[in-house]
Amino acid sequence: MAEAEKPEEKVDLKSMMKKLSAGASYRRVIAAHEAGHPICVASAGIPSEIMFAMDVYPIYPESLAAISSGIRKADEFFDEARARDLTNSVCSYTRCGLGISWTNKCAFGPLPDPDLFITDVSICCLHVTWWAYLEDHFKKPTFFVDQPATDRPDDPAYIDYYENQIREMVKFIEDNTHSVFDLERLKQTVRNSDLTGLYWKKIMELRKHKPSPASFRHLAGQILPLVTALGDKDAADFYIAFYGHYQDLIKQRVTPAAGGEKYRLIWNGIPIWHHLQVIDYFEKKGANFVWEPYTSLSWGNKTPSGRLDPEDPFRTLAVKYTNVFTNRPIEARFKYFEEAIDEYDVDGMVMFSNRSCRPQSIGQDETVEMVREKYDLPILILEGDQADAEGFSWEDAKNKIDGFVEVLEARKR
Amino acid sequence: MISEFKERIEKRHERSRELKKEGKKIVACFYGLVPKELIHAAGIVPIQLIEERNPQYEEKSELLPYLCGMGKNLTGQIYGKVFDYVDGVMVGTVCDTNRHVYDIWAHRKLFPHLLLVRTPSTASDAAVNYYTDELKRLAGELEKISGKKITENSLRESIALYNENKDLFCQFYDIRPKTDISAEDTVYIFSSGLVTPVEEHNDMMRRFLSILSATSEANNEVKLMLCAVNLNMAIDVIRMTERYGASVVTDDLIHNARYGSNKIDMEGDPFEALARGYLRKVPAPGIYSFEERATYIRDRMAKAKAKGMIYLIQLYCDAYAIEYAILKERFDKWKLTHLKLEAEDTPSSIEQLNVRIQSFVESLS
Repeated sequence: MAEAEKPEEKVDLKSMMKKLSAGASYRRVIAAHEAGHPICVASAGIPSEIMFAMDVYPIYPESLAAISSGIRKADEFFDEARARDLTNSVCSYTRCGLGISWTNKCAFGPLPDPDLFITDVSICCLHVTWWAYLEDHFKKPTFFVDQPATDRPDDPAYIDYYENQIREMVKFIEDNTHSVFDLERLKQTVRNSDLTGLYWKKIMELRKHKPSPASFRHLAGQILPLVTALGDKDAADFYIAFYGHYQDLIKQRVTPAAGGEKYRLIWNGIPIWHHLQVIDYFEKKGANFVWEPYTSLSWGNKTPSGRLDPEDPFRTLAVKYTNVFTNRPIEARFKYFEEAIDEYDVDGMVMFSNRSCRPQSIGQDETVEMVREKYDLPILILEGDQADAEGFSWEDAKNKIDGFVEVLEARKR
Repeated sequence: MISEFKERIEKRHERSRELKKEGKKIVACFYGLVPKELIHAAGIVPIQLIEERNPQYEEKSELLPYLCGMGKNLTGQIYGKVFDYVDGVMVGTVCDTNRHVYDIWAHRKLFPHLLLVRTPSTASDAAVNYYTDELKRLAGELEKISGKKITENSLRESIALYNENKDLFCQFYDIRPKTDISAEDTVYIFSSGLVTPVEEHNDMMRRFLSILSATSEANNEVKLMLCAVNLNMAIDVIRMTERYGASVVTDDLIHNARYGSNKIDMEGDPFEALARGYLRKVPAPGIYSFEERATYIRDRMAKAKAKGMIYLIQLYCDAYAIEYAILKERFDKWKLTHLKLEAEDTPSSIEQLNVRIQSFVESLS
């Protein structure tokens, strides 16, 4: 197991962020294509370390959809989906992501013609249909890292099956590209990924401090290398540096919440990418998000120990990627909330009822019931969509937040 | 004879309660990917959870407004104790709503036995092995409900009964366009199979086919095919097409497409045969060839001489909605005349389809 390295000197965070930014990631894909490396359209939730170790460069349509939405450049992709008769009830990542594939461009410019498609099948059913469509429409080799629907992701037989799927994924890449698998390279990749995940987790832990130094708004941006650059040493260095940065902010008692951190909150759901100012608005009112399943449970080293074992890379990746929060029973999901409420000393919760994401939204009401029963915490439910701004009213959202903060304030008196 | 089929579907709950009184165990299936043969082999009667038009159910479910009506309707029926005779429910995943509504049913402990079928999405050798083991695990769970051991022989016998049922359906669907059996009656004939013990339904189908004869195809109505998920909505649309001088001569009702899709191989290990018979063989978005599904629809239209097709999507059914957009590429390429409709399962929502159906029928006249 790799030793955790400690930051020793001040680093230039801005240039590090620039190196791992969405734009830089886009430019890397373009350069890789020009250099003859294979390009893969990949879903979230696949063992991306394998691709990194085999020089396969991923395009993540969900990530590009979130970015397009965040910079208000998603409309043309939604229009394209509408023109092809995809109704708005279909997930906005899927509609926007397909728009990106059909137009072969993203918010940063044209995309190279992909060589492969790879998807997971456990995060949501739409991934399966979406990638099956890509295979059918674009006629490219496609691999489904199979993971049957389950409510017992820890079952060893289930993990065995998935481990075999990762080995099949390696074979698929070798069969369809000139890439050659090298076990030592995978071990090094997992080592870097482990450090990346470890320091992300440590950053999450720092948020237990009062006031918490991190802003959910910033973290929503800083999470990108966990999606696009796992295995890259730069990604590990990036989070190590940010860990040091947040430690400094703790010493300085800096909080993103304007006027001081009066309320500590949980956000449940994907960020509202088209209106990230929702988070700013909370912070302006002294309410700071200190824990989210999205940041703490969906990304990073999702193993029981919180570490990856580079010496047993296939197994460790299987354990990590089968651990899907929404595949657990509602009671098991609630336990994470219990821990967070207790350990992060939370004053309230905001539940994002996201019409695009059924796996995250179904069961939310039951979680709310359990939280109310045990903790009597104020809970705000915001409705909307992760990437499609249609129907979202900023004014309504502000009114709801105002009312919610008033409730928090009354409870503090 | 049609009234017999109709009664089976209309009085399904009464009949199930009678079976219960006779000492039978009943396990309900949530959608068509559940291997009914396995349930039957345990001496249990499998029935399908079917939507029932009553807006109260959707309200009662208290599920999120943007979830499909089917999941909400079934959950509402469950909360309303409509399925109080059920010993257990087996859920086969076809979409995120049906997968995660399972979580709520489990959380609320709504059934004594609730089983999630862990179905792989591929049909590789590893997937077949995994699914064969999964079927054996499920067999153990079902044995706990019925107290009856599932043997290779009992499973083989059950597979044979369901194969026969599928075969009888195929015979009926082949001959139906040449008969005077109406589209609405066809829905009853088919849907009764979802809630009737297979032995009884086979007997009904055999008797029915023996008296069914081809008639001349003399009428000048506009012939249509209907693809739909929801049975009640399908009946409404059938009635509307008839109002405007058209007739639905063949259909692709999703319950039917999944239930009657293919026969299971009778050779070898029956658990493995069942695994092979279900993996990527049952039409469901993403885990079944789009080419085969679109071709099936086109061929069925040609066979029934349908001039056009109506594709009816239940609002918020994202799985069916995305599948339509994918199939449409082929429909357009083949210049297959069709009308896509999207509505909720409420009279007012359905009523709004009137004008579009009328225009579509007129355009084909």
